[in-house]
Amino acid sequence: MRIADLERDDVLLRRAAKGDEEAFLLIYRRHQAPMYRFALRMTGNTWAAEEIVQDVFMTLMRGPKKYDATRGALGAFLYGVARNRVMKHLERLPREVALEEKNEDGTGSGIVLQDASTPAMWLEKRERVRQVRDAVQELPVEFREAVVLCELEELSYEEAAQMAGCPIGTIRSRLHRGKALLMAKLEMLRGVPRRASAAR
Amino acid sequence: MNCEEFEAIGLDAERDSSLSQVERAGAREHAATCSRCAALQDSWEAAGIELRAFAEDTSMAQAPARVEMRLRQEFRTQHVSMRVRRTAAFAAWALATAAVLVGAVSWVNWRRNSSSVVAHQSKSSQGAAIPAASDAKGVASQQSDTADSEALMADNELSDFTLLPGSLPADTMDAAILRVRMQRSSLGALGLPVNEERAGEWIQVDLLVGNDGLPQAVRLPQE
Repeated sequence: MRIADLERDDVLLRRAAKGDEEAFLLIYRRHQAPMYRFALRMTGNTWAAEEIVQDVFMTLMRGPKKYDATRGALGAFLYGVARNRVMKHLERLPREVALEEKNEDGTGSGIVLQDASTPAMWLEKRERVRQVRDAVQELPVEFREAVVLCELEELSYEEAAQMAGCPIGTIRSRLHRGKALLMAKLEMLRGVPRRASAAR
Repeated sequence: MNCEEFEAIGLDAERDSSLSQVERAGAREHAATCSRCAALQDSWEAAGIELRAFAEDTSMAQAPARVEMRLRQEFRTQHVSMRVRRTAAFAAWALATAAVLVGAVSWVNWRRNSSSVVAHQSKSSQGAAIPAASDAKGVASQQSDTADSEALMADNELSDFTLLPGSLPADTMDAAILRVRMQRSSLGALGLPVNEERAGEWIQVDLLVGNDGLPQAVRLPQE
């Protein structure tokens, strides 16, 4: 790890504002992956996620002074910007068809199946992941956000509430309702009768 | 804890840091005694496992390299144009400052010149009045062939010369100035009045000689 990699975000951002390209790229490399994952999980679309990440960093590039280091970490600020972009995107396209995601080299979305010992198991697991992804995409936006933040991004309730700009109780309630809807949908897909009435 | 409370806060009690130890213990106790809520919790955990599988699926996802390339391009464009704008602004300010300085220096020089011209003119008008008065009672004398042949290029300021009778100002345009030494009586030959008492005095005179070789104007240089 280089010494520059250890520099604080606000220091790097000040350097970037003065025209230091390397400093800006360090910030980008440090934060792009979580932003992209969040956008991808929320939109279910790689192109949209790519555009959102680009927008987020363009915003940072054009207005570095919008970030106030005394108010929190740069990551949280970027999450906030990404969230706004995601919401705008979802408002514009309320229901996008989630396509089979492709990487740049034309392969699949990179499903990690270390324990899939047979092709049949691999296919089954892949199909299951696709079902979960579709089910998450079908959740109402506010429930989806809670599920993505708490379950996929593994943020605590406090962090998720801060990110979504609402009280912890609201996040908890949204997560419960979202997860209940998800369970119902997944069980329906599995053909298992519903055991719970949590979705009501 | 009852079933309703369990559904609201108990399903994720182990993870929810906002709950107290007592609430967590209550949730555990309720799940152990209520088969419906236990099944619900199993289903909840199963959904959690499936979500984690989905999360793992995208855990290595990151923005394609083209995004970094586009951002890099945009960064360069933005900062180069900013630098160009700054340079242009600096150049504009420098030019404006230079123009103001040149203007100020020119104005000061002009003021200085105009004041010296006024002083010179007033001085020369006084100098011209003195010989005219002293020669008012002068007598006629010989032509300039009796004058000293010493010729010098004099000051080219023509305003000090007194036109000789019969000369026109336009004739002096291409004239040359000759400095000669002559007797005062010679001024009479040029049509100027001469003081008879001082007719024998030798004086130094600037003559403005035209293209035809004839004197057009005369000036008595001040010592």
